[in-house]
Amino acid sequence: MNRQFAYGFWIGLLSLLVAVMPVRAETPDAALAQLLEEARASCAQPSDRLTRVVCGGHVRAGVRAYYPLFGTRDGTDYEGYEPDVARAIAQRLDVEADFVRVNAASRIPFLAEDRIDFVIATMGHNTQRDGQVRFIRPHYYQSETVLVGPKALPIHDWQDVATRTICVTVGNGSNAEIVSHKARLMLFDEAGVLPDRLNDQTCTLAAQDDSFFAFYFIEPAFAATFEPKMGFAQVPWGMAVARTGSDKLARALDLMSQIFHRDGVFLEIARKHRIGTAFLEHQQAVWQRPDCNTAAGSTNGACILPALDASLQPTPFAPRVSAFEGWFERSFGLDLTLPMLKTAPALSLFLNGVVNSLILIAGALTATLGFAIAFGFALGSEWRLLRWPARLVTVTLQSSPIVLTLVIAAALANAIVPYSSAVALGAAILALGLSNGSNAGQAVSEAVITLHHEGRLSGMGLFTRALARSATSIVSFLVNAAKGTPIASFIGAPELLSALTDITSFSSGRATTYCLLLVFYTVVVMIVVWLCNRLRDWLERGEVMA
Amino acid sequence: MNPLLRDLLSDFVPTLLAAMVTNFEISFIALALGLLLGLPLAFLRDRGGAMGVGVSATIISLMRAAPTFVVMFFLLNVLRDVSLFGVKLAISGVMTVAVSLVPYSAAYAADAGVEALRQFRRGSPLGALLFLPNITRAFFVIVMSSGAAAAIGVPEGISVILREVAVLPSLGDRLIVFAIGIVLFGVPLQLGLAFMRWLQRELGRRMIAV
Repeated sequence: MNRQFAYGFWIGLLSLLVAVMPVRAETPDAALAQLLEEARASCAQPSDRLTRVVCGGHVRAGVRAYYPLFGTRDGTDYEGYEPDVARAIAQRLDVEADFVRVNAASRIPFLAEDRIDFVIATMGHNTQRDGQVRFIRPHYYQSETVLVGPKALPIHDWQDVATRTICVTVGNGSNAEIVSHKARLMLFDEAGVLPDRLNDQTCTLAAQDDSFFAFYFIEPAFAATFEPKMGFAQVPWGMAVARTGSDKLARALDLMSQIFHRDGVFLEIARKHRIGTAFLEHQQAVWQRPDCNTAAGSTNGACILPALDASLQPTPFAPRVSAFEGWFERSFGLDLTLPMLKTAPALSLFLNGVVNSLILIAGALTATLGFAIAFGFALGSEWRLLRWPARLVTVTLQSSPIVLTLVIAAALANAIVPYSSAVALGAAILALGLSNGSNAGQAVSEAVITLHHEGRLSGMGLFTRALARSATSIVSFLVNAAKGTPIASFIGAPELLSALTDITSFSSGRATTYCLLLVFYTVVVMIVVWLCNRLRDWLERGEVMA
Repeated sequence: MNPLLRDLLSDFVPTLLAAMVTNFEISFIALALGLLLGLPLAFLRDRGGAMGVGVSATIISLMRAAPTFVVMFFLLNVLRDVSLFGVKLAISGVMTVAVSLVPYSAAYAADAGVEALRQFRRGSPLGALLFLPNITRAFFVIVMSSGAAAAIGVPEGISVILREVAVLPSLGDRLIVFAIGIVLFGVPLQLGLAFMRWLQRELGRRMIAV
């Protein structure tokens, strides 16, 4: 009885100890070891790419061949942060790494076509790509878009960026964010030209991934002249495998990424290649935490980073627009793309652009007419104190290219009131009105002088006749003002040219977009010409009747 | 002397003058292409029969209505995708701007050409010669418009001014740079306009004498 009691006592105590002891989680190392062991044990029936890799002795890694510091090819040898990470993975799997060259367009199709086992090729992890490949967590790197410019240029935050022109590449996901801060974009097809354009001063500022500029900043001449001004739009980079047949390989890579962060493997390779390490240092601290350093860490929301949500909200009629594009291409063999109608931000930019363009044109016409009358009156005046300053202003305005007049108007306006779209529109209306109105006013004053010589009239009667006599010139400068309104985009006025440039910077369809833009402005100017001709007829009828 | 002004005169002004050569280069090309396109249109409009007159008048009014700045962006973004006989049209920034100014210069040349032909037919060769000052005027208008090239990164006069201004912190300093720019653009313009007025006066005097 005593013996039975003793057994019962010890079993109860043991159970109690087990119950109250903290649960010790399985480590990623143990989980990885077990996974690899299972894979090696099933070589006869390889059901997953992991088994095929460990049994075949080779892992095919898709890497970049021309992305300095991250992946470059020298003959048959691949160098850079990513090939070295791939080598570390191969070593851990106890296999050889076979490198396959991929680029931004081919890296996902190569996975789907089973031409590579995994990809490690500067690929940002966003929600759109989540549906195409299985991303490895945790991420092995993180890039951000940096704004690079001359050291002498005082840029500290987004407020300093408004109204400036920034050179970017078409399709860069961060362009939409730049646009939202009222900067103008100068578009380029290839990132490779940006450092050259900074050097030859075509671009004052350029925005691109920090990983791209990292290479240029190790060049002493570039680093002595330029500096990163600010960073934004962080994107985590992920390795990826095919969505089917790669579950175990993905799991093995997840666990390896955890271990590589925790043990500083990523960090060491990054330091070797002189790339930025701030993200990796932070990640090392995360993956050394007890709650993350477990076999389940890669699914723990407190440890991993979310994918970037890069999708733009579609318009309610986006499917019909796509269907129309398809029908148009089938019917006419022409590639018609209407990005401005497919996403909500693009549609909003487009509609605002159309409205602002019409406001700008109406404003420029009114201002031109107003300044024409004012300059005509002042230049034709008999008072020298009025005539001479007006003449000086006219000669100055005539001597200033319209782009320069716009820039000066914007600089003066911004010195008085903080920059906004309305201020840019106002400054553009003023500049276009002054520039064209002064020329038209000169024509009015010349008509005043000829009427003076004829000596038939004086006072307001003479001035009205002068307006009628110079109707052709006034109309010509009114048309010129309407034609000049797209230049307002140069100072950040959010008119249609500016809006469509912004839209094409983060979507496709540049050809269609600019064709539509040309048609829009040509039609609007033709309507203005027609209206102005009616005005001229009315003014000239007045002269004939007089 | 003000240190800023000294720096501007020693460094900025020579750079600006050198860059302005590009503005004149763009303008010469635009005017030459404009004449090449505009003069045949003028002949067609003057002696092309009903159909010829209709076609040329339509083309001229379309060219007159096309905004240069939009045409420039159109060429920049659309022409890069166009191939001619299997070869991609890779035109330079300077040529893009010059071609974008062609609709204006061609329409102007056509209008002036039509007027010159009418004067010639009326037996006034000197009246027809007014074509020359008119084209000179167009040239200077084009020079002033060529500053739009700064928007697509062509290193011409305006882009040099904007580059200089970008690193100046005070509005006063910027206005000095703007003023220098206006003077340097204005001098050739005003000289050109003076020459044009002299030419018009001379031709007018001879017409009266004849």
